[in-house]
Amino acid sequence: MKTNINTTRDRRAFLKGLGVSLTLPMLESLGAASPAAAPKRLVVVGTYLGFHQSDFFPHQVGRDYGLSPVLEPLAGFRDEMSIFSGLDHRGRNGHEGWKAWMTGNGARSVSMDQLVADAVGDQTRFASLQLTCGRPPSGARLSHTREGVALPMIGRPSVLYQTLFRSGSDKARIDYLLNSNASVLDGVLDEAKSLRRRVSASDKRKMDEYLASVRDVEKKLQKQRAWLNRPTPKVDYTLPEFDPVAPDLSLECESIMYDLMALALTTDSTRVLTFLVPGWSQVFDINGRKLSAGYHGLSHHGNDPDKVAEYNLVGKEHVKRLSRFLDHLKAHRDADGQPLLNSTSVLFGSGMGDSNTHDNSNLPTLLAGGGWRHGSHHQIDREAGTRLLGDLYLTLMQRMGVKVDSFAGAKHNLNEALL
Amino acid sequence: MKRRWIILVGWLLGTVLHGEAQTNAHEGLVQKYCMDCHSGKDPDGDMDLSGTLIDWQSPETVSRWETVHHMLETQEMPPDDEPQPTAEERQAMLDWLGNELTEHGKIGGTVPRRLNREEYENTIRDLFHDPDFAVSNAFPADDSAHGFDNVGEGLVLSPPLLAQYMELATQIADDILPPDSGPAVAKPQEYAMEPDGFTEDTGAGAAFSKDRFRLASSLNMANSAAWPARFEAAQSGVYRLSITAMPFQTDKMFYQKRQESLQLEVYARRSAEQVYDVFDKLRALASFEVDPEQALPQTFTCEVTLFKGEIFGLRWADGPAYSDGQVRAYSRTFLAERLTKNRRFYAAMLKLKGGRRGITQSEYYEEMNALIAGDDLDLKDSQLDALPQYWGGGLSDAPHNWIKAYVLEEMHRHGPALDVLSAEIEGPLSLVEDDESRARKARAALFLGDRPAEVADRDFVETVLRRFLSSAFRRPIDDDTLQEYVNLAMQGSERLEDGLHLAVRRALVSPQFLYRSLRPGVLDTSDLAARLSYFLTSSPPEESSSLEEVSAEVLERESLRLLQGERSVNFVRSFTGQWLGTRMLKDIMPDPRLLQFYDQDRRAMIAETELFFTEMLEENHPLVNFIDPDFSYRNANLNKIYGGDVQGSEMQRVALERGGKHGGVLGLASVMMATANGVDTQPILRGVWLLENVLGSPTPPPPADIPAIAPDTSGARSMREQLNAHRADVSCARCHNRIDPLGMALENFDPVGRWRDHYPVYTKPEDGAKRLKEEFYANKGPATRRGPAIDATGQLPDGTRLESVIDLKRYLVENMDLFTTCLTEKLLVFATGRPLSFGDRRVVEQIVHQLDPDQHGLRDLIVALVKSESFRTK
Repeated sequence: MKTNINTTRDRRAFLKGLGVSLTLPMLESLGAASPAAAPKRLVVVGTYLGFHQSDFFPHQVGRDYGLSPVLEPLAGFRDEMSIFSGLDHRGRNGHEGWKAWMTGNGARSVSMDQLVADAVGDQTRFASLQLTCGRPPSGARLSHTREGVALPMIGRPSVLYQTLFRSGSDKARIDYLLNSNASVLDGVLDEAKSLRRRVSASDKRKMDEYLASVRDVEKKLQKQRAWLNRPTPKVDYTLPEFDPVAPDLSLECESIMYDLMALALTTDSTRVLTFLVPGWSQVFDINGRKLSAGYHGLSHHGNDPDKVAEYNLVGKEHVKRLSRFLDHLKAHRDADGQPLLNSTSVLFGSGMGDSNTHDNSNLPTLLAGGGWRHGSHHQIDREAGTRLLGDLYLTLMQRMGVKVDSFAGAKHNLNEALL
Repeated sequence: MKRRWIILVGWLLGTVLHGEAQTNAHEGLVQKYCMDCHSGKDPDGDMDLSGTLIDWQSPETVSRWETVHHMLETQEMPPDDEPQPTAEERQAMLDWLGNELTEHGKIGGTVPRRLNREEYENTIRDLFHDPDFAVSNAFPADDSAHGFDNVGEGLVLSPPLLAQYMELATQIADDILPPDSGPAVAKPQEYAMEPDGFTEDTGAGAAFSKDRFRLASSLNMANSAAWPARFEAAQSGVYRLSITAMPFQTDKMFYQKRQESLQLEVYARRSAEQVYDVFDKLRALASFEVDPEQALPQTFTCEVTLFKGEIFGLRWADGPAYSDGQVRAYSRTFLAERLTKNRRFYAAMLKLKGGRRGITQSEYYEEMNALIAGDDLDLKDSQLDALPQYWGGGLSDAPHNWIKAYVLEEMHRHGPALDVLSAEIEGPLSLVEDDESRARKARAALFLGDRPAEVADRDFVETVLRRFLSSAFRRPIDDDTLQEYVNLAMQGSERLEDGLHLAVRRALVSPQFLYRSLRPGVLDTSDLAARLSYFLTSSPPEESSSLEEVSAEVLERESLRLLQGERSVNFVRSFTGQWLGTRMLKDIMPDPRLLQFYDQDRRAMIAETELFFTEMLEENHPLVNFIDPDFSYRNANLNKIYGGDVQGSEMQRVALERGGKHGGVLGLASVMMATANGVDTQPILRGVWLLENVLGSPTPPPPADIPAIAPDTSGARSMREQLNAHRADVSCARCHNRIDPLGMALENFDPVGRWRDHYPVYTKPEDGAKRLKEEFYANKGPATRRGPAIDATGQLPDGTRLESVIDLKRYLVENMDLFTTCLTEKLLVFATGRPLSFGDRRVVEQIVHQLDPDQHGLRDLIVALVKSESFRTK
């Protein structure tokens, strides 16, 4: 039988021994230490194949809601999370619509996390990181640049680990490249200046455009060199011998990626993370039970109760991993002595509403951490048509310092629910 | 239209030439509206328009009046709070000025333009002999200006883009001049897998069964094979692989007990991430004969080569094959065999069909058996006498997939099957060079060239850089720059390769590489060679080609050579994609109520456009064929658009009747689709498009506060009624008298280019939203009613009456100058990367004048353009 995922590593031992020795003080700004201080970090996690909505959303509204079996692993976090039902972008349906989860518009526009990365990104080595497990299903995308170009995602734990905690020879190479790039830019700057002297007035404008770009890149280069001179955090974490990138190992890959995300945050390597949790037709083995169909097949359960039950088992596995991640963040203290979770907004859910019919309305949405006013299930009246998922994004972005008044059709935020 | 006006007005007002006084009319107008601010000691904006004598010979004067023309045209002048000329007065001034400037204006004005994305890719491919080079998807798209993405004004360089260029430069340099990583040493690994160490995926014909992995035989490996979930070769090398397998056969099998050995095959796969591969495209590694009689585990060992990152896959090669794209014949025989042996089986299959949504293979098998054993079957159904013909589709739609599910399940439970019990892999025992590193070494060798023994380091570096930089900067490198780069390469680097790496990185972000049209002054042979090559192939000049001198003969010879080469397809694709809008098609989703539209339909539409244009180029058909041709290119996918009964998916040349409704730029479905929004047609959009791209007389943009017209889909008001309303205002009518009749003439083409005589009206389904999805498949029943008849009639400003697009085509054929001028202008913008100056318009007139559209073709036009002063001027 397949090896039981739960015993692959001793989770408690890992938690206790989270070996992070930092030769670097946490780069927290010295602000107010009160719990209501604005969040500094954003994590967005979305499952590609969604959740069964009636087994995700509580059936009661307000504070005294019953937690569904799928969300049961989050029982210990009731006071540190909020659930929203009835929110979506009023956009296109289907797998195409999933791409719009963080952009709202579906085509050629920036995702919410990138706006946040623009605002807080230069305080860390990496402005943001985009992750997934293995190679995502074709067309699956989460983060997009301002031009609407989908950002590539790191799907291999070994690659993410290497990116975050570079080894010695890697560092030397990067050092060399950064230094020599500086001389490259010096050289081409001179070439351009010399050209500029000789060309006509209208041509000078184009050369000025080039010169301005070179100067800008030079500045960024200097920053990168400064970062390189800071010591890389040393961590004590053992990766498996082979990256678990085969589709039926994706739950294992998911666990490891969460571990590395926690390390990325605790070492302040980045403050913006997005994670696309994928799904294909892999057959899972959960707690010794082999499921009767592939994951994608289960998401098209046709309302067959047995299939829905298995679909929910997978959903619960995702939530378990989220819960462990929240545990890590809660256990770690920041420079002000507060749990890291209090200053980290974790947005969990999916860009898929009803996976059975490929409907993208009423998206599963759960917000944890971040110091918000938590504890309730907010049921938004979809028929009234006054609230959009973008309203929630506006709240998250504005509190992190993004100067934005509208996003994805939303023109007002959802502060009254969270502040 | 405008051209005629200019000539007419100019003639009426009398020509103003070389220093003669402004005519009274214009002097009066300029005096009235401009002189208050633009005269005297300190004229506004330093623009002095006083004086009765205009010296058209002075470039400064010409330049000044070009600005005046621009200001008048955009209505920036006179300023809003000053008295405004009437529309007629403004037009009169513009026409007069336009006429003068066209006659006296200077030619040229291309600003430095950076390589656009396509040009950059093609340039790197040539420069480094790497036909597979491509920029990543994260690379930003280019902006267009004046309709094309190779115009200097639009090609902005932003800091993020420069950063990307730097990143790419490092990757490219790493490829041919990799850093010194020391000698490669084999680092052996060992990995053993039990059956649970193989990947399990549904759709997998291989299935995990108790303590073994049961293999099937499909060519599509997701349906048959086993591969390890965790192992990946860390280095390219030789690995020792052992597999333990045994046959599985029972008495309950459908098939006879197997006498011949079962063939176990091993293949190399690219990675563990990917589920889908087709076996006949993979590299075969080994093959074993499994003894069917021996019911004990048999172990096979082999040594195989795996390249870095690869894994191995196992398949039973010669079982009853199924669901193979290439081998449908095999499965058809198998199916026939099955059906003829058991009529109940076929009857059950027809009754159950694909089962319900989400049904598993195992459930399907059991339900089929229940039906076969029960008495609920219609054994007299006449369908049972003929084999199913339809073989494609998903599980719920295709007989061969239903059978696959049954048979695979049966083979898993009862045999025959080939079971894999365990596998072990060890290695690399020795290292090998993979194709990728071999190709890379070849590229590096081409870059470095030969190094004769006695050549000193610096001289060698200089030789390499002289060759490389001349190629990269697209002209023979000057000595000063060369020495600068050589110094850079020689200083501070221990290895020559590292020094060259640095030089390459700098060259690839130098303005001399990234930009064209950089040097001031007259275009020399290098400039022209590059301009010509990028125009007709979107690639840099080939090393072998050169222009020995700047002359008409050489330019003609070279352009013909490039047009005949295979790279001219880049020109066709890029130019038609932008001029005729086929690039936009990928973003348009036709309304499913119109028709079911697939990617291959879109591809066929684009292919028709490109093949048509290609033939116009290669055969040099008279230009009049752009409007009224007797041919086009179609395949079966386009039958749903054009009617017709073309067979097959290959594009074929079809004959058309001249004077008909299809064919030519006014009949192409791609154009009709690009000028609509996928749901409704928009006559104004189409009219504007025609004015801009066929008649060559674009209209200025509408005033800012005019809302778009929403089509009235209930059919209460016709499009014509809605358009007529806004022509009641004289200032709107000025442009709409030109736009509307053209757009209306095309109303017979629906948003995907099909001919229609009535507007569609969409019926609302009776039982609400749930039924709407049924409507999406138009072939499942009528979803539309006939709406009002289409009235495509109209009248052009010069009085010509149009009954339909056919009249419009006839009109254009009788006035070919309009189209020829337009096409020439478009080609000139594309070729020179600049908006046309007034002087350029003069050159365009001369080119058009030389051409007879009934005799001369596209090739003649392009050659004339290349030989013209506009093309030869920066």
